[in-house]
Amino acid sequence: MIRKTLLGLVVAMTPILSAAHSKSEATTPGDGATVSEVPELSMRFDDPMRIISVTLTAGGADIAIERETGMEPAEEFRAMPSEALAPGDYLFEWRGMASDGHPMQGSFSFTVTE
Amino acid sequence: MTGLAPIDGLAVLAILAKALDYGAALMAMGGVLFVAFFAGRADASVLRLARRLAIAAALIGLAVLALRFGIRAARISGMGFEGATDPMMLGFVWESPLGTAAIWRGLGWVAILAILIPRVGQWIALAGSLAVAVSFAQVGHTLGAPRAALAILLVLHLLAAAFWVGALAPLRRAALSPDGAGVLHHFGTVAAFAVAILILAGTALAYLLSGSLAALFGTAYGLGLLLKVAIVAALLGLAALNKVRFVPALRAEKPGAERTLRRSISWEMLAVVLNLLATATITSVTTPPVNL
Repeated sequence: MIRKTLLGLVVAMTPILSAAHSKSEATTPGDGATVSEVPELSMRFDDPMRIISVTLTAGGADIAIERETGMEPAEEFRAMPSEALAPGDYLFEWRGMASDGHPMQGSFSFTVTE
Repeated sequence: MTGLAPIDGLAVLAILAKALDYGAALMAMGGVLFVAFFAGRADASVLRLARRLAIAAALIGLAVLALRFGIRAARISGMGFEGATDPMMLGFVWESPLGTAAIWRGLGWVAILAILIPRVGQWIALAGSLAVAVSFAQVGHTLGAPRAALAILLVLHLLAAAFWVGALAPLRRAALSPDGAGVLHHFGTVAAFAVAILILAGTALAYLLSGSLAALFGTAYGLGLLLKVAIVAALLGLAALNKVRFVPALRAEKPGAERTLRRSISWEMLAVVLNLLATATITSVTTPPVNL
């Protein structure tokens, strides 16, 4: 059973779904929230995080956002949608590096209503 | 599962490269330690094998170091494999603790190559082994508090593991040499201390990074650690069997004794490989409970 688990982890090159990294942060909009407008997208971390790539998608299509926070390590990340978000379901995904060098990634989703 | 990061193709690659890195480090440091401890005792062919393994491992280590930089850059970039050669991403990795660790490890690998130089080279290689061990304390969760205790425990844990793992192949060869039984018996005596250090340091590290016994059962880190302990237990069982049964049989020149002993050492090697894969997985995609 032990060896099977290990092989499963290492050999099967398929992604294993899991809960997001728990050192996750408070976000705006909140994860799973339903909101009427999105003036900004932000995340807070308890340790400086270098956010390298961010994407906002709706149904798989990329939505343009403008970063206010650069690629320097920061405890708060902020970005704005380039245009007001149309009603729909959105997914925000990010990748980066924690201050100890660990690669990090995370995501949150929200819904915009009329 | 608590504290388990998503595992994609790049993460799997990172885990494999890290396991190879661990293996190279233990083989290189262990080869150097073996030569230092057994210079006057072991057969020339056995010592030559230990030196060759240390050199091969150091060369592999240098290559894997470069590879791991690329993989890390790709993982943080969000660009996939293209990120591996992106100068900006490589710069971020270089600025991170991985850059500091790479300097220590790279210098260590080069110093270990000095084992080719007679006499003084052995001392340079020993210093190199220490540098490689120290490099591991420059990254990851050993950077947390209490920093000094975590660093010292990790370095001790690695050196003790290296002494054991690096000796396996030379000892397997020694079983065939005329005075091999004496070398194997001597190893059994010294290794008892090394194993004690290995277990004490490992347990102390696990305690500092887990915080509580309950954390072991409810987190990905804890379950990974329990898996590692299970593998180490099997490894210890084999080692004990070698010490109390197979080596004495070899000394008594019982028929078939060397075959049995060599097979047992091969099983130990397999357990070490599994252990390195487990360790690389834990340190790559799980978070120690104290950091949750």
